Amino acid sequence: MAQSRLEKIGTIFTRVQGLLRAGAMRPEDKPIWYDVYAAFPPKAEPSFDRPAAVVPIRNIFYKEDVTRAKLHKQNKPSETISLFDHKRQTQSQQFLQIYGELESQGALDDQKIYETALDLLAEQRQQNKTSQTQNFEESFNEPVVEHKSQLLSDFQVAEIKPPAEKTKREPKDKAAGVNIESLFKD
Amino acid sequence: MLRKSFISLPRLSQLCGVQRRFQTTHAARVESEAEPAVTADSEPEDIAVIEQKILKHPDYFNVHNLFTVRDLFNARVHYGHKEGSLDDRMRPYLYGNRLGHLIFDLDKTAAHLRDALNFVAHIAFRDGIILFFNRNALNSHLVEQKALEAGEFSHTRFWRGGIFTNANVQFDAVTRLPDLCIFLNTQNNVLSQHTAVRDAAKMAIPTVGIVDSNCNPNLITYPVPGNDDSPAAVELYCNLFKEAILRGKRKRRELLGLPPLEEKLLATRRQRKTK
Repeated sequence: MAQSRLEKIGTIFTRVQGLLRAGAMRPEDKPIWYDVYAAFPPKAEPSFDRPAAVVPIRNIFYKEDVTRAKLHKQNKPSETISLFDHKRQTQSQQFLQIYGELESQGALDDQKIYETALDLLAEQRQQNKTSQTQNFEESFNEPVVEHKSQLLSDFQVAEIKPPAEKTKREPKDKAAGVNIESLFKD
Repeated sequence: MLRKSFISLPRLSQLCGVQRRFQTTHAARVESEAEPAVTADSEPEDIAVIEQKILKHPDYFNVHNLFTVRDLFNARVHYGHKEGSLDDRMRPYLYGNRLGHLIFDLDKTAAHLRDALNFVAHIAFRDGIILFFNRNALNSHLVEQKALEAGEFSHTRFWRGGIFTNANVQFDAVTRLPDLCIFLNTQNNVLSQHTAVRDAAKMAIPTVGIVDSNCNPNLITYPVPGNDDSPAAVELYCNLFKEAILRGKRKRRELLGLPPLEEKLLATRRQRKTK
């Protein structure tokens, strides 16, 4: 079958098109992708020497970045963050929320807002802590019902099991008719 | 590995009930004409005519509903590499630069990905052979698995030169090359492009490829700008391509009046075979 291996010239479509037009490739030898390509051409021509577009890359910044930078510069971050946790807000997110609310009220100047927001955040965290410990105590008092076998529950089961097995073994030994304690009497 | 898969090709296709794939692509069409009378009764139209007809439809396989931009975001597709490693040809696909890290414009990614999925589905509909590529050790098993599930082929190891360009000598037989190559990443390592990208262009095989911000998209026929490193992103791409392929195959069997694909059975059977 005729073909052109010069991948740096034109595209795969133009090369096959040329072969078909010149009669070097018979119409029935046409590759199966040819019609699909003709019907749905790609957005940019896939040629080797397609020049790179001169597009400037903009920087992504948000309005609250200034406040966030100030917060992180003046306060050493002390929390551990799970990137998979989309539900809980991080401390700096909570801070920015409070800051935004205060700013929209428009009564204070920037430094005042910053300080009050820090105070409010500390207050909020304190409240959360107390409520969390309460919740924890409540949940601790409730009987734990676990349906699924988990790693933790497996360990718990394994811890409980050995004494249960011991109690089972004792009657077995007796049934065998050998009293082990009597063997070591002398 | 590729050689093995090509040798076992007729056996596999018998397993899944697909008619044998022939060496040349046009022979497949002749074969479909010469199918049993039962098929001809239920579907009087020739498959070649149908193939031409469905090309007029802008999205015949409904690939636009396979994913949303939110899915792409959740799979971390928007993360590029750092700005120092940027390939200038990737500039138009970027949204911006966040503190030194490049971020892809997911609207553009979605448009490119839909084009690519549509193309993949059409090739699968025309009974083309599809070959998945990936050179990231972390994701290679996943890619192989998904290619198996789609009933297609994968190559995730070192690429010996000449597998495409010197196939007839290397395999001691006339070899049918794949009709479409899907690259889950187009780089061998951070420095060099996968040789198969060039070889596929040489052999006039269209390519679909995920191109990260440090890749060259020029030789890829349908480039999809996006993160090619995260397992979550690669899994999303694999699932999408697999689903597009299966949609194409199902539609073909439906229109030919053949029994539907038993996908799960097919996957497990092939697994057992390879063991």
